[in-house]
Amino acid sequence: MNTIFKIAWRNIWRSKKRTLLTVSAVFLAFVLALFMRSMQFGSYDLMIRASVNGTGDLQLHKSGYWENKGINESFYYNGTLTDSLRRIKGVKTIIPNLQTYALISYGKQTKGVLIKGIDVQAENRQINLSGKIVRGQYLSSGDNGTIIGDRLAKFLKADIGDSLVIMGQGYQGASAYALVPVRGIFHMPSPEMNNSLMYMSLVTTQNMVNPYAPGLLTGLSIFLNKSSDLNEIRSKIEKAAGDEYETVTWRTILSDMLQTIKADNISGQIMLMILYIIAAFGIFSTELMMVMEKRKQYAVMVAVGLQKKKLVLVSVLETLMVSIVGIAAGLLLAVPVLEYLNISPIPLKGAMAEMYLQFNIAPALPFSMEPHIFISQISIILCLSLLSSLYPAYYLYKLNILKTFRS
Amino acid sequence: MSIIKAEGIFKTYNETSVPVHALNGVDLEINNGEFMAIVGPSGCGKTTLLNITGGLDLPDKGKIFIDGTNLGGLSSKELIDFRLHNIGFVFQASNLIPVLTVKENIEFIMMLQNRPKAERDGKVEELLNAVGIIGKADYKPGQLSGGQQQRVAVARALATNPRYIIADEPTANLDSASTRELLDLMAEMNEKYGTTFVFATHDQRVMDRAKRIVTLEDGKITGDKTISK
Repeated sequence: MNTIFKIAWRNIWRSKKRTLLTVSAVFLAFVLALFMRSMQFGSYDLMIRASVNGTGDLQLHKSGYWENKGINESFYYNGTLTDSLRRIKGVKTIIPNLQTYALISYGKQTKGVLIKGIDVQAENRQINLSGKIVRGQYLSSGDNGTIIGDRLAKFLKADIGDSLVIMGQGYQGASAYALVPVRGIFHMPSPEMNNSLMYMSLVTTQNMVNPYAPGLLTGLSIFLNKSSDLNEIRSKIEKAAGDEYETVTWRTILSDMLQTIKADNISGQIMLMILYIIAAFGIFSTELMMVMEKRKQYAVMVAVGLQKKKLVLVSVLETLMVSIVGIAAGLLLAVPVLEYLNISPIPLKGAMAEMYLQFNIAPALPFSMEPHIFISQISIILCLSLLSSLYPAYYLYKLNILKTFRS
Repeated sequence: MSIIKAEGIFKTYNETSVPVHALNGVDLEINNGEFMAIVGPSGCGKTTLLNITGGLDLPDKGKIFIDGTNLGGLSSKELIDFRLHNIGFVFQASNLIPVLTVKENIEFIMMLQNRPKAERDGKVEELLNAVGIIGKADYKPGQLSGGQQQRVAVARALATNPRYIIADEPTANLDSASTRELLDLMAEMNEKYGTTFVFATHDQRVMDRAKRIVTLEDGKITGDKTISK
């Protein structure tokens, strides 16, 4: 076996320039793939983290809420339950909220919007809502006013200090009415949010939805210390909450976003495939040339007693060795650089930076060092190398030694 | 006692539009310890007969026995294994493995046989001494002259103590001095180890040293002469 390795290793270096060219092709494809995937996964991770920062790692609702999302699927705040959830190891923060849809009017303008009743201080700590106010001010605790998106304000022709009329469905068939003054106008990165979202304090929203027995919630957003503990903590929460409640994880909440990421990921994979096909063709042609050049040497080896399966092994090893050298060189360059970029992401400037800030994300291009990026790229190259070695290996397996001697 | 027995060997090549009848009913017995040459004009079937007696090719018709084993009854895998353990080869061009050193080339077949390192080292040293290239153990074949390469090829063929070595035009690319040295070496090995040597050649210098000459013409044996020296 040692001799087979030795022959394969020395064979690839008999034509140094050609081998180095092929190694360079593998190296380039591998390094480009690593940078591309690291940046892609870094961005995905950042997007997900920023979104989960708003939604929570999981949410607790009354059973059936996620299907219908109606105000009748709300539940009353239960201090005992919240306390028991807080005691579960790994739970960092729990933020209650009450969401409902309603019509709002100002002057002659009316529009359907999503009203989010929030714990003003906790929500601000979590997603820095006050940082998104472009006019007026953020809500204070127990505030009976509202903050609305800039596009909504423009549509309603309303400004700071104007009072909006809210008409909607209250709890269990009651009507929900309120007159709320505009305290501030915010601007979010999403036009949809600017157009049809308003925030009110939790207490004001609860009073509006059910003034006779305030205290309703549509959900508890639960934030964890470590996202990786999600499944374990989810089952503990479900056990503590009982059948009356349901939980949904951020994967369900952000399913649209995950679909977008999936589509983007596929386009990245297609780019990679093109890159790898070029590299694989390089490996294939080099190996085939090596086999054709050395076929007489190989014929002699079989003549003197080398089994063809070992000859095939020489050929496969040659291909793998070329790839492994390319991969090793690629890792030597890529790992320290990516590690550096992972710790110190490339800072973004101008409009790009502003956009990131509006999403409450640090304006920098993140790079991921997730092991699966490296493992998958190495596996792809090794698989392509094996595929590239199939025909040369088949050629050697079928090698006719006498014809080769005569040729 | 015969080591090789060929019975009614026929071989036809159909690689061109006109079939080439390389061997037309050859019967031959080669005895243990012989130093024999198969001679004849180009295209008479020398190399084909050598290849068949070396297990590199099989006849279309007829039987070939080496040490009582019918080569026609072996699978291609068994045939390779048979060659590994029973036959040594010296080719026209030495055909050493260019990426291995002289020592590694000689050791190669012993490694295929999974012989222990100590045994391999001892044998390599013995053979390097025997073929007179002890100082060149770490050279690559490309650093040796044609004559030296053929010496290494002989050492490689002898490495596993085969009872039988076939050599196809081993002196074709050598000058007179190298030819003489190589033939001296093979004759010595024949004497020393009792190894049977069979050459396919049209080199008069080889014929002059052979103890038996089999002449082939048009795929048939037309002469078989034992020479007493």
